[in-house]
Amino acid sequence: MTRFIIRRVLYMVPMVLGVILVTFLLFNVVGGSPASMALGKNVSPQALEEFDEQRGFNKPVIFGWWTTTRAFPARDFSEPVKLFAGTNLAVQLLFPLRPDSCYRVKVQVRGLESGTRVRLLPDSLIMLSNSKPEISSRWHWTEFQFQPGTNLSVSPPVLLSVEQGALEVRNVRLERRMPHGLDSQLVHYFKTLARLDLGTSLSTNEKVTTMLRRGILPSLALTVPVFFGGLGLSVGLALLCAYWRNRWPDRIFVFMAVALMSVNYLVWIIFGQFFMAYKWHWFPIWGFESWGYLLLPVMIGILSGLGGNLRFYRAVILDEIYKDYVRTAFAKGLSPAGVLFKHVLPNAMIPIVTNTVIALPILYTGSLLLESFFGIPGLGGLSINAINSSDVDVVRGVVLVGALLYVVASLVTDLCYALVDPRVKLR
Amino acid sequence: MRRRVIRICFGIIVCFGLVAFYGEIIFRYYQAVDRTPSYSQVNLSERYLPPSIFRHPFAEVDGAGPGRRLWLGAKTLAYRPLGTDNLGRDVLQRTIQGTRIAFLVGVVTSLIAIPIGVLLGCISGYFGKWADDIVVWVYSTIESIPGLLFILAISMVVGKGIMGVYLGIGLTTWVGLCRLLRAEVMKHRDRAYVLAARSLGYSSWRIIFRHILPNVFHIVIITFSIRFPAAIGTEVFMSFLGIGVQGEPSWGIMIGNARLRLWQGVWWEMAAVSAAILLVVLAFNLVGDALRDALDPRLRSREV
Repeated sequence: MTRFIIRRVLYMVPMVLGVILVTFLLFNVVGGSPASMALGKNVSPQALEEFDEQRGFNKPVIFGWWTTTRAFPARDFSEPVKLFAGTNLAVQLLFPLRPDSCYRVKVQVRGLESGTRVRLLPDSLIMLSNSKPEISSRWHWTEFQFQPGTNLSVSPPVLLSVEQGALEVRNVRLERRMPHGLDSQLVHYFKTLARLDLGTSLSTNEKVTTMLRRGILPSLALTVPVFFGGLGLSVGLALLCAYWRNRWPDRIFVFMAVALMSVNYLVWIIFGQFFMAYKWHWFPIWGFESWGYLLLPVMIGILSGLGGNLRFYRAVILDEIYKDYVRTAFAKGLSPAGVLFKHVLPNAMIPIVTNTVIALPILYTGSLLLESFFGIPGLGGLSINAINSSDVDVVRGVVLVGALLYVVASLVTDLCYALVDPRVKLR
Repeated sequence: MRRRVIRICFGIIVCFGLVAFYGEIIFRYYQAVDRTPSYSQVNLSERYLPPSIFRHPFAEVDGAGPGRRLWLGAKTLAYRPLGTDNLGRDVLQRTIQGTRIAFLVGVVTSLIAIPIGVLLGCISGYFGKWADDIVVWVYSTIESIPGLLFILAISMVVGKGIMGVYLGIGLTTWVGLCRLLRAEVMKHRDRAYVLAARSLGYSSWRIIFRHILPNVFHIVIITFSIRFPAAIGTEVFMSFLGIGVQGEPSWGIMIGNARLRLWQGVWWEMAAVSAAILLVVLAFNLVGDALRDALDPRLRSREV
């Protein structure tokens, strides 16, 4: 048993790593620029760079010494620019470079490979020179490293000019050197997570962790009654269905369940709020002041989940009901209710409990729509607002914590399962 | 009785499919002629028309002769039959466009999710060992992330629009299929017919896709019928929140729009969309159940 537990706990490690990697991939790699997503299009590149600097987005993604900078966005010339001795190509820097970092200019040129040279002059001129007059057919990269603090006194503009001969320029980019190769976004992400820091919200400038802590109680106040109310109701109805199996009450229940499943969640909420709260004044419409405000959302939540749950539990109970021990119990002359509650239900509890525990993390996320419709200040409403305003850190925080809770819940489920059911073999 | 219900449901699905196809033709037509589609055209003189089969919206019939009167009557028969919304746009046409988008989402997300699920499920079930470990690791990681939030986050990252909907739903919902197929392929791996094929020297890929996959394909069909309505529901949800479809009349956008008018007593847009969603999803659910009963013999003995 101990070995099983240890193995199972160790198995959590790749899961947690996977979750962290997926969130990293989603928000750092695929996501393009979180800065422009968060700040909008009309902001200065310097503000974007500061945002990136704060959140570590201006580092290399996984590994590397060089990283791009927004001071000079990489330029691809669709038409290669021909430069002769004496002509300049202005490279406009959008903001001053950092004096403490090392930079390099990479230029893709076509000249004679042996002949092309780059050097930096004190008056912010980067000279390219081609010692031979011919232009070769091959493009190649040539680079020059410099430190703005010492070599380059003023920042904009940097001029590329040709000292001697002629060459063509196709591509210019400016990169910044990292202090060491492992100073990357991934490492930064792991570091902040190790500090239990989930970042700060963009819209409210609050710590994500405090936001999560504040939102969890209202969420639980909504989801816990929905969850347990729904569980009790659907298991009860499922038992009734099993009792009347394949007769008309069962058929009606099953059809009702399918019909309930088919009504869209949004429609439930809108009609409930419109008729019960607005038209008939049974419940308050919006807010979170007393328990009365929770009644309607809880009811809607139970109702919308009822169909699917009822069908699942009915299938689970019917799975048991055709087994031999049930036939034996009936043959002994026990009452149908006795058989159902004393024999069938305990055996059916195993899948039911499994299903319940695995669903527990959903309680934490709260119900996204119910919360935003009924003005409950929980995590669901929080995440919807965050998604609408592209608040990356909040979304990532909610996703990450939800996933970690799920990993823990699945561990608990497996352990419970192994404890309850002696047939579970220790692999 | 049951068979007749299923037949009707299948008919409903086919009808909605045809409607969606019609919507696609209309959409393409307006794109080709480069005009504002009639379902998006604002018409302030016809705001909030209630649903009615027969109406004379602006034609003065009083002075006209009998023939003219008949002509005008025929012309206005079924004019805006489901009424108009707050900008005077035809609710029926918008619902048809919504059907088109719902079916597009159902089909495209299936085209993304099912190949991923089939491929990974077959690989991990057939080859086992480290391939299996990797696939299980990948899908349990994805499974552990709260579903709806994951979808919303993906579409946030990809960018608002229908592409985000496709990718968000498509890339997260293959897990169930993959898990089912993996278990099923594992059972088939050591069956006699697979051993026979292997002893004939067929390659693993041929055995997987020509021999095993046809035997477990019913799972794919059942999964398709289950995930289709789920995808539609998710799309409605996302479009309602404003991160789904942009600028086209999807069901979610219509619900969001109609919700505000509901308080003014304009119920028909809401009713039309709710009824459409209910019909499609109900039909898919019932057909899905019937498919499962018909194709998966283990379940047939238990239910019905």
